[in-house]
Amino acid sequence: MRKFLAILLVVSIVLAFAKTKVEIWSWRSQDEPVWKEVQKELNAQGKDIEIVFRAFLPTEYDSKVMMALKSGKGPDIIYSRRLPGVRTQSLIDAGLIKPLDGQVDFSNFSEGVLNNIRTGGKTYGVPFAVQVVGVFYNKKIYEKYNLQEPRSWDELVQNAKILKEHGVTPFFVPGKSAWALTMQHAIVGTSILGPCWIRRLMKGETDFLDPDWIYVNKILNDLKVYYQDNFMANTTDDLNTAFAFGQAAMVFYGIWGYGMWKQLNPEMEGNVGFFMSPPDCKCGKPWAYVFMDGALALTSNSKNPQAALDVLRFAATPKFGTIFAKVTYNIPAVKGAQMPNDPLLMEMTDVVSNHASPYVYWVGSVFVSGKPSLYQDVLSPGMQAMYAGKITPEELAKKAQDALSQWYEPLKKRLGK
Amino acid sequence: MQKISRKFILLFVLPAFILYTTFVIYPFIYSFILSFYQWPGVGKKIFVGLKNFRDILVGPFAEEFRNAFVHNIYFFALTAIFELGLGFIIAVLFVTTIKGKRIFQTLVYLPNVISMILVGFIWNMMLNPQWGLVNKFLKTIGLGFLAKPWLGDPNLALNTIIAVNVWRHLGFYVLVFYAAIISIHPDLINAAYIDGANNFQIIRYIIFPMVVPTLQTLLILLFIWSFNVFDIVYALEGVQAGPFRSTDVLGTLFYRTAFGGLGSSRMDFGLGAAIAVIMFVIVVPLSMFYAYMAEKRRRS
Repeated sequence: MRKFLAILLVVSIVLAFAKTKVEIWSWRSQDEPVWKEVQKELNAQGKDIEIVFRAFLPTEYDSKVMMALKSGKGPDIIYSRRLPGVRTQSLIDAGLIKPLDGQVDFSNFSEGVLNNIRTGGKTYGVPFAVQVVGVFYNKKIYEKYNLQEPRSWDELVQNAKILKEHGVTPFFVPGKSAWALTMQHAIVGTSILGPCWIRRLMKGETDFLDPDWIYVNKILNDLKVYYQDNFMANTTDDLNTAFAFGQAAMVFYGIWGYGMWKQLNPEMEGNVGFFMSPPDCKCGKPWAYVFMDGALALTSNSKNPQAALDVLRFAATPKFGTIFAKVTYNIPAVKGAQMPNDPLLMEMTDVVSNHASPYVYWVGSVFVSGKPSLYQDVLSPGMQAMYAGKITPEELAKKAQDALSQWYEPLKKRLGK
Repeated sequence: MQKISRKFILLFVLPAFILYTTFVIYPFIYSFILSFYQWPGVGKKIFVGLKNFRDILVGPFAEEFRNAFVHNIYFFALTAIFELGLGFIIAVLFVTTIKGKRIFQTLVYLPNVISMILVGFIWNMMLNPQWGLVNKFLKTIGLGFLAKPWLGDPNLALNTIIAVNVWRHLGFYVLVFYAAIISIHPDLINAAYIDGANNFQIIRYIIFPMVVPTLQTLLILLFIWSFNVFDIVYALEGVQAGPFRSTDVLGTLFYRTAFGGLGSSRMDFGLGAAIAVIMFVIVVPLSMFYAYMAEKRRRS
């Protein structure tokens, strides 16, 4: 009897001190310290929650999540991709992630952000980040050669020319990472074409054979003389290393790279500048490509749904946004967060609020919601082919036209299909 | 007595039968059934009949499929020439009495014990166009004009992957040929020497004909492996099999269509299963031929 009571006592003590585990899966390995901070905050609020964070390779993440949830296992919370998109939509359709309306306060998010995670009138996650993509440059190199942020495409090319003449690699482009080339097209195209042109494309009032679209392909193809040697064999990892250590003056990239550059080389703190890809001429206005990255979704297999909801409720507060921004140097999706005192992040916040193009054609656009997709099937392989000299800018435009006119109704209608 | 022995036979066969059914028969039947459905991995499966096969063979995925299929054939042709050719030559060198052959044997076989993902990691670094060892070395010895974007040039990428594959697997073929050559009765070779044959004639008229059955077996195995190749392409170029699908093979096409991910145009287990079924149809006749040959040789 004594033994039994002793065991009971030990078990009771262990249980009393055991924390409720909440498991989170993500494709963003850089977020691990965020969740350590969140756990501290929750624990300080008297919630005995232990957050177990696991990151997977982005290319394998979605299949891992799907397999795990389908077999009745998996984590309590997943990082989900934005909507519309087959990956998150199939999880919703199968009832594997739950709507959070009425359980999480979404008042700190803008409607625009929430639309990226809503379907059927329900909200399926807590958005975590807003991404800005554009041209990042090394300030010291710019200062050394007395260069200014370009206000037109010609000025950008002129800057590149000056840098090249001085033996500096103007741009580091990761030709092997096809997705980054599509992103580069989108960064440049958003400013050169402008939102009104993209809107006309969306409405089927113009198409991909429009000289303006071909012009974007052309100027990008012409720009490749200013890329590093053998750029077609470089990845985004190489880009991060090269840019962090000053081996190139400029990169077409996203704000998510900033944390990595500083981690690789602390001297990059305060040494990174940003400008939106310039318009064709000075009289034009530059536009930024801004998109919601993803959301935190509650799975139906959650072993501790109440604790998971506590985590998600916290993720919907400005305090989470403050932690997120401080650790990752990304822009949190939640409003009211305190941004680190970093001029680059301040500038990004301004860009998100005042210069985001309302119409886009890469991630978060209608052109990637069907198959063949402008992103995966046309521009990713197509940009590589154009840069390798296998196809012309006109042929790349035709590929886009042929692919999208298979399913995109306004374009089909325009072409009389 | 006869009944007891049958029971025992069944008892001994049972574990293998269960394992084979669970891990070979069931997945194959399931894949075959799945190939008639559209299914992103969760939710309801939608029966689409032969649509997946039509999509692959004549529909929107036909170009990608043909491209990958041709690459598999190319991969097989080049690996056969280099792995079997070099394997044979090196094995012949190893049966001679050259000094330090043990070291060479170890060196040739060593890459075989390295995991394919590690091979990919090592060669990705070695082939980096800016700071990779290969281009640095070429520049150091004055051959800078040969420094290339090995994995980024569509004309070079697949050949580079094949070269890495040869580096990784050569040891295995050397080992098999070596075993085949040393099993040739020495009297045959000694008699040829006494009759005045030179080394080349001995290789041409005795060693080579005697290892032809081994060569046939290796050729068939290589064909099967070439049509199932995935890991080396994945490790060096990812599922996108870039640049612009210039290194795509059926294995990476299957992965992209079944599991999605960056660079994939569709995430549909049904479509992936249809590709797997077609791969099976290509590989199985040769597998059966291989089994027949092996059995024939055993009986003779």
